[in-house]
Amino acid sequence: MSTETTTGATSAPAPTRERSWWSGRSELFVAALVIAIAAVLGVQTALMDVPPGTASPGPRFFPTIVTVIMAGVGVALAVQVIRRPADRPGLDETAAADAGDSAPAEARTDDSGGRTQWRPVLTVIGSLVVFILLLQPVGWLLSGALLFFGVVHAMGGRRPLLDATVALVFSSFVQLAFVAGLGLNLPAGILGGIF
Amino acid sequence: MDALNHLMTGFAHALSPENLLWALLGVLLGTAVGVLPGLGSSMAVALLLPITFQLDPTAAFIMFAAVYYGGLFGDSTAAILMNTPGQSSAIATAIEGYQMARRGRAPQALATSAIGAFIGAILSTTLVAFFSPAIIDLALQFGPAEYFALAVFAFLATSAVVSQSMVRGLVALCIGLVISLVGIDGISGAERFTFGMPQLFEGFSIVTITVALLAIGEVLHVAGGHGGTESGALRRSGTPWLGRKDLRRTLPAWMRGTLFGLPFGVIPSGGSEIPTFLAYGTERKLARRRAARGGAPDEFGNGAIEGVAAPEAAGSATAGTAMGALLGLGLPTSATAAIMLAAFQQYGMQPGPLLFERNGDLVWALLASLFIGSVMLLVLNLPFAPLWARLLLIPKPYLYAGITTFSALGVYAAASAMADLWLMLLLGLLGFMMRRYGIPLAPVLIAVILGPVAETELRRALAVGQGDVAVLFDSGISLALYALIVIVLGVVTVNRARAARAARAQVSAPHPAEKV
Repeated sequence: MSTETTTGATSAPAPTRERSWWSGRSELFVAALVIAIAAVLGVQTALMDVPPGTASPGPRFFPTIVTVIMAGVGVALAVQVIRRPADRPGLDETAAADAGDSAPAEARTDDSGGRTQWRPVLTVIGSLVVFILLLQPVGWLLSGALLFFGVVHAMGGRRPLLDATVALVFSSFVQLAFVAGLGLNLPAGILGGIF
Repeated sequence: MDALNHLMTGFAHALSPENLLWALLGVLLGTAVGVLPGLGSSMAVALLLPITFQLDPTAAFIMFAAVYYGGLFGDSTAAILMNTPGQSSAIATAIEGYQMARRGRAPQALATSAIGAFIGAILSTTLVAFFSPAIIDLALQFGPAEYFALAVFAFLATSAVVSQSMVRGLVALCIGLVISLVGIDGISGAERFTFGMPQLFEGFSIVTITVALLAIGEVLHVAGGHGGTESGALRRSGTPWLGRKDLRRTLPAWMRGTLFGLPFGVIPSGGSEIPTFLAYGTERKLARRRAARGGAPDEFGNGAIEGVAAPEAAGSATAGTAMGALLGLGLPTSATAAIMLAAFQQYGMQPGPLLFERNGDLVWALLASLFIGSVMLLVLNLPFAPLWARLLLIPKPYLYAGITTFSALGVYAAASAMADLWLMLLLGLLGFMMRRYGIPLAPVLIAVILGPVAETELRRALAVGQGDVAVLFDSGISLALYALIVIVLGVVTVNRARAARAARAQVSAPHPAEKV
């Protein structure tokens, strides 16, 4: 869905640094996750309570097929990542992307060579966690504004007063449009008495 | 002429002030998300899903379809003006379109793309409206085995063929299937993968899944510094006027592009990138051949107008036939279509041949509104494209904060349960991880929607055949579908091997080999 074809130039890692075996192979965690899910699926399928008198291809039939395919795909992914790590120069098409006018057919939409900036990601996750915890006790208006503010901050908003105002305006607008207008049910929280 | 009568009735419904308003809202929103890079029509429809439950289904689907079409019109604006494709369907347009803009021909490029998108949309919608009886006749011959074959075809086409890496596509497919398995089995009533949690008895809510994967995942991805580079300055543009010389070149290109787009709407290819690149490649080859024969010079690389016309027509031509496949066969061929199929199920309707009988009013009003929406989009995009491009001036933090807040609102409003918000966070992390490693999202959505269909039809077919697997290969239709899968997989494997060998042979070629 994202279409960043122009990010490649900036995301090429410095080749001079000493690289460990793991660099470019962090996707092995994905493969491990896939295999782990397949394992859980397999165990749960085996332990499933099948109601008596169920017709022949029962509720275990399809999950068994999915388990087998998933385990196979997970192993295949692991093998592929081990054989061809992501950011070795020459194999990663994004490294060659030159402002969109090269390699149109290979428009890879990922940029796995780039380094993730974890701070903003964790800020967004934290804002969501706080929002979920506060939604019912505090109500939509404040927790929604806080979520908005948190994401703005994570994305590089550096004018707290303005950002906070926009956040409050946005969550009030949502409250008015969707609760008053469309009749959605949002928790009113501590400000419930005022409205 | 039966279809014509139906269509006229449909127009009568669609032209009601209320439905016109929903169509207008849809095309405005669709164009907006089309213009903005990173947001797509699938994310917009996912976010609309929870708040449209209050609406009459006809109005809701008119709006969804308008968003879908609008995305395909709007995506080229930023691609041409700033070399920032709004959706992946405009990557091909950006190549020559941006070159045209750099040479001061931005108005012509924008006009070419808007008219091209209009022609593709109108022609494919017409085709679907008048061939719908044929689609229904075909669909009526489908039994459990055929539907299973169709689902397998959709699974493999989206995951193995389209995505850059076959393994990653299959990973996405498996994740989707696992998500679809959670909940109580509809046939036997057995509890599956719920870990005893009553919140999971009904499975994951489709709203939570789509909003989390498409919206939250994208926000995290952009926060991690991956998406959305700041793009170049907005280019000024004058009146969009195509001279006769331009028209003589664009008209055949629009037609050729449409021809590429039409069949790909029906093939579950997870979007419209492939036909746009095929159309682009063909125009490029034709221009080279024409230049070699001593005709007009080959302008590709310097802003060839055909390179804008053909991909745009191809991209929007997929939308009409995709709607046909969705309504007539119940086959979702893109992420947006998959979410719309889920919306039909939420309203208790099952797309397929019976939909035309039971909900004929809705279907024909929807088809009529596609024509109306296309005209609206032409009017909105032809003169106002530079205005739309100003949307790119919205500060990114506010845009993504708005998306996050809106996602949380939608998920909570649809489920009224805290569990779904936690699930949204979890699946959002999954979506982030998938983007990070280039695992495509469309196969997940298609597997979530079609997974239960595939399972039910497979079990039904096997029950009828008393466990004999041969029953799955018993009819011409299923054999043809399986044969198609094998052929396509074979062609793709051979092409990939060849491309990989070529890439190894010349790592830093000045012009990468075209893929056809």
